[in-house]
Order: sequence, then structure tokens, then C-alpha cells
Amino acid sequence: MRSVNREDGPVKVTGAARYAADHHPEGLAYGYLITSTVARGTILGMDTAPAERAPGVIAVYTPFNPLRLHPYTQADTAELLPPLQDDRVCYYGQVIGLVVAETFEQARDAAALVTTRYDAERPRASFTAGLPNATPPSGGTPETDVLAPGVTSIDEALAASDVSITETYTTPAETHVAMEPHATVASWTGDRLTVHTASQGVRLPVERLTESLGIDAAQIHVINPYVGGGFGNKWGTWAHTPLTAAAARALGRPVKTVLTREQVFTVIGHRPITSQTVSLGAAADGTLVAVKNDGISSKSAANDFYESVADLSLALYGSANLHVSRKVVTMDVPATTIMRAPAESNGSFALESAMDELADALGMDPLDLRLKNDTPSHPVSGLPWSSKHLEECYRVGAERFGWSRRSPRPGTVTDGDWLVGLGMATATFGASRGEASIEVRLRDDGRAVVSGAAADLGTGQSTVFAILAAEVLGIPVDRVTPVLGDSATPPAAKAGGSGSTSANGPAVRLAAEAAKEAVVKLAAEHEKSPFRGEAVTYADGEVRGGGDAMPFGELLALLGVPEVEVTATSPRHPRREHAFRSFGAHFCEVRVNRWTGEPRVARWLCVVDAGTIVNVKTARSQIAGGVVMGIGQALLEDLRIEPDTGRFGNATMADYLVPVNTDIPPIDVEFLNYPDTVLSDLGARGIGELSIVGAAGAVANAVHNATGRRVRDLPITLDKLL
Amino acid sequence: MEHGDPSLRSSSESAANRLVEVTCTVNGTARSLRVDPRATLLDTLRERLELTGTKKGCDRGQCGACTVHVDGRRVLSCLTMVATLDGREVTTIEGLAEGDRLHPVQRAFIDQDGFQCGFCTSGQIMSAVALLREGHASTDGEIREAMSGNICRCGAYPNIVEAVKQARS
Repeated sequence: MRSVNREDGPVKVTGAARYAADHHPEGLAYGYLITSTVARGTILGMDTAPAERAPGVIAVYTPFNPLRLHPYTQADTAELLPPLQDDRVCYYGQVIGLVVAETFEQARDAAALVTTRYDAERPRASFTAGLPNATPPSGGTPETDVLAPGVTSIDEALAASDVSITETYTTPAETHVAMEPHATVASWTGDRLTVHTASQGVRLPVERLTESLGIDAAQIHVINPYVGGGFGNKWGTWAHTPLTAAAARALGRPVKTVLTREQVFTVIGHRPITSQTVSLGAAADGTLVAVKNDGISSKSAANDFYESVADLSLALYGSANLHVSRKVVTMDVPATTIMRAPAESNGSFALESAMDELADALGMDPLDLRLKNDTPSHPVSGLPWSSKHLEECYRVGAERFGWSRRSPRPGTVTDGDWLVGLGMATATFGASRGEASIEVRLRDDGRAVVSGAAADLGTGQSTVFAILAAEVLGIPVDRVTPVLGDSATPPAAKAGGSGSTSANGPAVRLAAEAAKEAVVKLAAEHEKSPFRGEAVTYADGEVRGGGDAMPFGELLALLGVPEVEVTATSPRHPRREHAFRSFGAHFCEVRVNRWTGEPRVARWLCVVDAGTIVNVKTARSQIAGGVVMGIGQALLEDLRIEPDTGRFGNATMADYLVPVNTDIPPIDVEFLNYPDTVLSDLGARGIGELSIVGAAGAVANAVHNATGRRVRDLPITLDKLL
Repeated sequence: MEHGDPSLRSSSESAANRLVEVTCTVNGTARSLRVDPRATLLDTLRERLELTGTKKGCDRGQCGACTVHVDGRRVLSCLTMVATLDGREVTTIEGLAEGDRLHPVQRAFIDQDGFQCGFCTSGQIMSAVALLREGHASTDGEIREAMSGNICRCGAYPNIVEAVKQARS
């Protein structure tokens, strides 16, 4: 496996990489958002006069003096309505105004001078209180059943099982906390708009700005190669972006709006709260015969996204009888949105905890139970998996981690004041190959430029572009310049659904092959070419023919052709004959202090079956990063909603806890690296989300092994272990 | 009901009109500035001096992304008012390398893949340089503890520990 340093490493370690907020066009003015301080109601009035009189203030926009934005028409994971177009408040922290001033300090202080009068209503802000009135999602499928011949209901199958368990698992709201707060810098030149904004795909803000500003996509150029983390919350285009672009248009000068960290918590969406009631039924030998999961997700009144949290229970283990249901609790809270492995991360916490509870009931080793129920085909569709080596993940992991040293009796292994437990869980995430277009330019200086409107959120995608193009072109990696995050380049796959490399990788290779063909044709046909009329071939960066060879850059220089440019499109995979998923196995050791209940993760191993790994160096980091976020989910993260006010009670980075360095042990990652040749010639599936799935379950299972306590409500904080 | 956003606190208008004269050194260059007394070092570096390598992650001293050195000590530039820096010496991420020659800590972060998105990286590197100088990097545990003021949401922590160890040796 190749192990290559990030191509963007030098600019990132020297501070030279320019993120959205780092742009400073001539004549820049500063925007500062005003947000609501009630969760539901009507704005009666806003007194903006003191702000308008404040030094440096250029404009104050509110619902009573709005910037006109057209309704959104296309689906997005963000809000359904553009900001400031009416006087309704749907959640605490909603954008209700924008102050623009000459400096950031002036805009911030002026925003504080605006007072707002509300007709406030009591918000629906308690998930627990809403549970009895949970409803099937509008437009969604409320239930899915797969029953064996002759079986009339899932409950009948459960009743007929030798052993069964039923438990309810709950997860709190979480939020992404990407290190880069969302920012938009907008400047107009005539009727053309240039935007720097953090996005998981630069064509996404183009779409939203097209509809909200009422202009053509061709007038909009979004440039943003560096993104300071996404995890789902830079997929949707949020309120500040159209607002900032509209303000810049109205004022005739560039405007920069950067969200404060507190605003990021509310203006941008969060992962919903979920509840899952899981029943598993098995034969005495551990064979699953019934899997039932009734899943409920919170959903914001401001948009339509919820987690189909139970659905993973349909896809992971074989069972003759399966049932899931989906319901939502609608709440007056900020937008619910996609966050790393939406639904599957929370879904796996419940399913993987339940599998261990079933193993206990059966008196089986939890690893043996999973081996027993590994399935060669998708449990619902019956389609064979394109490439699945989960059993090898389990076996390699067990051997490498020392699983045989796990005590089957919880609470029996100690080390001083610490109770020591081992846990494991299955990792999995869906795979696909979308359509992607890539442009390759071979230049007369011997370099290749590889372009596509993809995004590198820290994933290593730009380095993947360089590696794959260099390989096909037979040149060193450092002679390839990847260009991502520019909406003027071809429509490559955006960074979402773990689908970047699986789609863009084959497209880069196709485009590089096409570029080789183009330069060969040029060599054979150009009137000044020394290879004219020869049988021309291409190898190792050189054009060859008639016993001669010349690097492509030299040839182009000789011919006076500055560059050869081609674009190729790799089509979407129809996925009709196979099912596609990545798999893996987590193993961890957790120590719980016997006096304080403090849980600490002491070691971790993740064995990964995700097809071809293009760059093991960055892939290892990405898998480890997913584990780190999973440890946060397991032990720390809990976005608290005050039930009386609908306000997030811990919307700061000091109060919403995410892992810090000292919370994280060494993380061992092993890749099996079997190419998935059914998905593509490249054989890469995707790893962005895989490793958070199962991580919290593995921690919960290790905590149980250490202490005998089964915690079914995340996060597993020390109060639950005392 | 009537209220402003309680998270915001306005300073007086008179303060907004009064500028403060400050002379300090930034990355070895003397700078004479007339600054808004409300201006933080972070905002001044980023918006006035166009040294945007220092990042704003929280603006409240909670994330570490804005870490720089003042007179060789690591400080959070979002909690440092420029008006307090007269005669002081500021070093940012842009001042670490000597020309094209990276500082050993910068080199180590590349070699060990000590970052993913790169947004916290300037602060991580500035912290790492200082704790190595202070002698706070003798064990893995000490490195992890001393680097815990710098949040990395991509989860590059194990690689950051390896990078600090490489730079130490």
C-alpha cells in the first residue's frame, strides 16, 4: 500500500492555506449576525436605531428591513426557508438580523445594541415529552418487515426464539464542532459573484445562491480549496451565505460574515436525538431468527431531516425475520442535519450493545455471536455483497488485540484502582459509486493539473487525486497539481456519504488515461512533431515512437502547445446485482476507576475492509479520527436542550465536551486492502464514516465487561457508573 | 418580552472612537499600529496585518487554535488585547520557518500526519514548539496532557503525539 505525505502539508503547517475567512478583498465590510433569544414565536419589532447610529455601521437588516431572498426550491440538509423573509421564529439562535460595519469590532458592538420584542410561545423542546406523540415521518416509509414463510409478525418470531432480549437505547443531540466556524466572503463585480465559503462541495452553495438570489449559476464562482472540517455540517448551505451575498450586492462592496462559535451551534444544524427499542431473538446456537428495532428521531420544525436510526438493523446481520419502524418527534430546535454516519452511528450503538446483551443471555462470546451471524448477502434484498471480508476483520483483530484474554465474567479484571474490560463491535457503512467528472491538463512544463469540484475536508482527497493521476501518467506525485474546491471545474463528487474516492478515484484515472491518448495523438499528428507518422506510445511520462522518447512537457514545448486538456466522466454504478458496504471490527480496552467511576479508553484496534486503500497514511488518520469522534460520542458528547426555553444549554467549546489529546490512547489501524472490483476498477469503497460506526458500542461493551454495568443511554459518564 | 442577545455586551461608543497607539514586533518586524481598544491580537493579526495563519476557532480561549507566542510564551491571541502589547514580541505560525526551511516541528507534523483539515494546526504547532522549549515533553503522557489545550476535531491526537516526539529527538 502507498503511504504518501499530504500534498497540502507544507501550506497547512506554515499557515499559508487560505480558508474562507482568510480572504480580504479590497473594500471589505464586516457582517455580524443577530440571533433570536426565544425558540418559538413572532417578532413584534426590533429597535435598530442605536445600532444604526453606532460608529462605522453601514446597514442593519432585519425582517422589517430585509434583504430580499427568493424561497429555496431544491432539497438541502439545511433549513427550508431563507432568513429574514418573515417574522416567525422557529428556534432559539435563529438568524433574525445582520449588521454590516466597517470593522469587525464595530459590527459586533452594534449587533449588541439591537433590541427585539417577541410574542413568544412555549416551544416543543423536550424529546422525552414528545415521545408519546411521535409520528411517522411525512414522506418516509413508516415500517419495513421481512418475514420468513409462514411467519405472520415479528413478535411471533421473537416469541418462538429460544432466547431473546429487549432493551431501549437512547442517544442525545450531538453537534459537529468542526474547528473552522462557518464563514462567507462575498464580492460582486458587476453582476458576477465570487464567494469563499466553507463547503463540502462548492457546487452546493452555487445551487442555493442561484435560487435565493435569482441569478444564473454561470454568474456565481465559489472558490474554497481548504475546509476546516465538515462532518456533515458544511453540506447544507446555511443562512449566513445567501444573506452575506445579498448584503454585498445591496451595498456594492465585499462583505465577510464569520459565525461566532456560539452561533455555529444554532445557525448550523445538529445530529438528532434518538431512541431505539431493540429486540433480538436467537436459536440456542446463537443463530439470529428475529431482529426488531423501533427507532424514533427528533426532527426540527425548521427542516425535514431526521435519522432513520433503526435501519442499520436491516443490513448488518442475517436473520430470517426483520422489522424496523421509523418515527419522529418534531421539536422547536435548530435544524436537525447529517453528521458523520447519520443514523448508522447511533443505530450501531443500539444494535452492537444489544448483540452483546444477547451474547450474555446465550452464554456466548460476543465475537462468536457475530461470527455466527455474518451474512454473505444483504439480509433484506438477498443480493450478494460485492466484496466482504468481515470474518477476516474479526479474526485478525481478535488475534492482534488479544481478545482471548477477555474475561467472560464482568468486573473480574482489575489493575490497581482500575476495573479493566475489553469490548468489540462491528463497523460498517454503505458504499456507492456516483458520477464524477475530472479534468486533466498536461502542461509544457512537465506538470499535470487535475481538477474537479470535489472537496478535501482534511480527508486527504487532494492527495488521492495526485497519487492516482501520477500513477497513470507515470510521473512523480509532486509533479501533479490537484485543484479542488473550485466551482468552475468539472462536477466531481462532493465530500459526503463516504463517496469521494469511490467516485472521483475512477474518474481521475479515466481522465489521466484520456490525457495520455490525447498527447499520443498530438505526437503522431502534429506537423512539427518528431514522432509524426510513427506508431506512438506513452510510458513513464514520455511519448515514444520510432526508437525515440521525449517527456510530454518537452514535446509540448517543442510544438508550442502550452497544454493538452481533457475531461472524462466516470458514470454512476447502478448497484442492481450486488449490495455494497464497507466493514470493519473494533476492539478496545476500557478502564473504569473503581472509586470515581471515571471511564478511560486505554487501547484501540480497528481492522478495516473498505476495498483498495489509495493512501494508507491519510486513510489511517481518517479511520483513527472516526474512532476519536466515536469515543467522544461514547463518553462525552451531549448537546443539552433546556426544555423550558429550547435553548442549547452548553453551546460553547468549554461546555460541549469533545475529546482532547489526553482522552485518546494509541489507535492501531489495520487495512485488509481487498479491492472491490465489482464497484470499480480502482476497487476503493470509502472510509470517511466507517470507523465511527460501532465505536460507541465497543466502548459500552468494554465498560460492561469492566464493571458489569450496562449503560444504554449515551454518553457513558461517570455518574452512570457509580 | 424585550431583550437583546445576552451573549453580547456592548462597550461604550466613546471607546469605539478612541484609538490606541501600540508598537510591537511581529515575526521580527517592528509594527506601529493605531488600534481599536477592543481589538484582540487575533483579529488584528488576521484582519489588519493579513497574517491569517492564526485561526479563530472559538474566540473565547477554549479551543487553542489561535495560540501564538508573546515574548516566547504561548498565549491565546483571542484573549490578548493588542493594546497590552506595546514593546512586546509576537511570533505567529508565519514566523517559524526560515525561508523555505521548515521548523523541525512543522516538518514533524507533515511526516507524522499530525493534522487532517489543518485548521487547528497552527495552534497545535505553536503549542508544541513552546512545550518542547519548556521541557514539558518527556513522556507520552506529559505530551498528551500538555497538548490538551488544543482541540483537534479531526482526531489527529495520536499523530500529534508522534510529531512532538519526532521533533524532540
